[in-house]
Amino acid sequence: MNAKPAELEQASHVRSANLWLEALYNLRHSPSALLGMVIIGALVIIAIAAPVFATHDPIKTMIGVPGETGRLPSKPPCIPLLGCEEPQHILGLDLNARDLYSRVIYGTRTSLSVGVITISLSIVVGTALGITAGYVGGRVDNVIMRLMDVVMAFPALLLAISIVTILGPGLTNALLGITITFIPQYARLSRASVLSIKEQEFVVAEQALGASPWRIVLAHILPNAITPIIVQGTLGVGTAILDAAALSFLGLGAQPPTPEWGQILSESRNYLFTSPHLVFFPGIAIMITVLGFNLLGDGMRDALDPRLNRN
Amino acid sequence: MLTYVLRRLTFSIPVVVGIMIVTFTLARAIPGDPCLAVLGERATPEICESFFRRNGLDQPAPVQLLIYMRNFAQGDLGDSMRFHRPVMQLLVERLPTTVELGCFALLFAISVGVPIGVLSAYRHKSALDVGTMIGANIGVSMPVFWLGLMLAYLFAVLLKDSPLALPPSGRLTPGANPQPFFELWGWVVEGQEPAGILVFFSRINTLNALLTLNSELLVDALRHLILPAVAVGTIPLAIIARMSRSSVLEVLSQDYVRTARAKGLRERNVVGKHALRNAMLPVITVIGLNFGLVISGAVLTETIFSLTGVGRTLVDSITSRDYTLVQGFTVVIAAGFVLINMVVDIMYGYLDPRIRFN
Repeated sequence: MNAKPAELEQASHVRSANLWLEALYNLRHSPSALLGMVIIGALVIIAIAAPVFATHDPIKTMIGVPGETGRLPSKPPCIPLLGCEEPQHILGLDLNARDLYSRVIYGTRTSLSVGVITISLSIVVGTALGITAGYVGGRVDNVIMRLMDVVMAFPALLLAISIVTILGPGLTNALLGITITFIPQYARLSRASVLSIKEQEFVVAEQALGASPWRIVLAHILPNAITPIIVQGTLGVGTAILDAAALSFLGLGAQPPTPEWGQILSESRNYLFTSPHLVFFPGIAIMITVLGFNLLGDGMRDALDPRLNRN
Repeated sequence: MLTYVLRRLTFSIPVVVGIMIVTFTLARAIPGDPCLAVLGERATPEICESFFRRNGLDQPAPVQLLIYMRNFAQGDLGDSMRFHRPVMQLLVERLPTTVELGCFALLFAISVGVPIGVLSAYRHKSALDVGTMIGANIGVSMPVFWLGLMLAYLFAVLLKDSPLALPPSGRLTPGANPQPFFELWGWVVEGQEPAGILVFFSRINTLNALLTLNSELLVDALRHLILPAVAVGTIPLAIIARMSRSSVLEVLSQDYVRTARAKGLRERNVVGKHALRNAMLPVITVIGLNFGLVISGAVLTETIFSLTGVGRTLVDSITSRDYTLVQGFTVVIAAGFVLINMVVDIMYGYLDPRIRFN
């Protein structure tokens, strides 16, 4: 009698290990997931080793520095990459005579951490809410899910803008604002998984054997609910990075002189017609980063979805 | 069907009430004194007291909320503290800009996204398919505001002297003063205040141009709309194209499609009549879900293209603590969002009868 649950558990571990191995195998054979991983890997390296990659201090003004021309972008842009002879600045200088290339490089740190932190926070809070709602049911379920409905009724960016206005502009508050807009997604996903798993025989059997709710949630429900959450989360990082950049663009996120891509765009948008390169490069950086997460997320969805089994 | 519609309608009421409570609380939580923000240097304690009384801010918050809900039900959103005009009036003036932009953005997204998605599913793994998917992936990864700026640079600066040049800001050429259709049709006598709904529709420039048969105005309005609409519509386009593709791919592998082919139906009928109708269900959901994206996109795009729509007005009002305007605009936008989702649900119920009975 005692041996049976243990055997079952072992069997389920073997199966889940196989599932992950299979997923990894599928991931390695999906070109889009591979490309996504390469992009994200490169960005992580750039973010960690930003001082190595950057050629200058990202917040240092180059006016009066020996050997600098201090050329401001109000004059025709001079980009060495495009054949202009100014060896020390790869992408030219920004409006405050700071090295744009170094600012974009350091911006990787900000954007990556904002994306990952926001999504991790909203996954933790959202999953906790969703599992509680689904497992407890009844009135608790109703209150939590109606609240989630209300949060979802607001267009995400609008809600984030309102929250940041209340908390005050700044990167931390922008991060909190975006986190709140993402919570309902994970709450809904995890609740749906709980509802489908909670009535299954293996869970009912475990309950009959006297397992505590904590054990059931942690050992059975969470592992089964986690796959769609991971996929959604990977895709969410891209959206969170876009939202954070949008808030910074509106002046509500990262504040100057912090090198953040949305903020760099916001600073230079009025000079679009005279020095478009200031707007071009930070935008490309955002696009590549978001693309990386979207490709990986898509690949993971294909790899982890058993319905799309390649065999 | 009617019971289904009514049931969906009743479900939305608590959400709208919830939206009002949340908006009310959020607007009150904005730090800073509204009197100081609105009146600035003129804000002496006495003037502020009368300002609070005039705007109902001297009442306890729950009373304010109840008064607000009662007035909202009667279509009265209060007076904007900054503009000193009814919020409803401002909404009637500025919502058309956003509605027009949103509609054209979605129109662009659907009319390009669905055919591309269907074609690439039909020609699965062809160059067109691969190209579409790469394009769609890049499309969803672009920041709206950046795309807007780049389009403005391309069409207003680089192509300035070519026939492809497009204006980077505004809704019409400065100085253009289109005659509203209701004046031309003699519905409203001069000097008389026209009904809000007439003003609303007359401010949708393209519609007004069509109604007054003014082709010059129509071309001008469209030329101004292209860049912002493309900027707002690109992300939804990419999402719609991806969804249409995967949905059609799934349907094309179903047994009934094989049956349709086996019984000798023409390929056009197999795809057009059997596959597409079923494949469009998830696409419609995705289109519905994209309204949120369109609204978020409109907030950013209106800022870039200097359009005085609800998005830009709202962001400006948040910074100047115009409670009543923030409240009114947010509730209307969120309620509109709920309404659109409801319509999507109802359409879904219409297209797939199984849903109605669950």
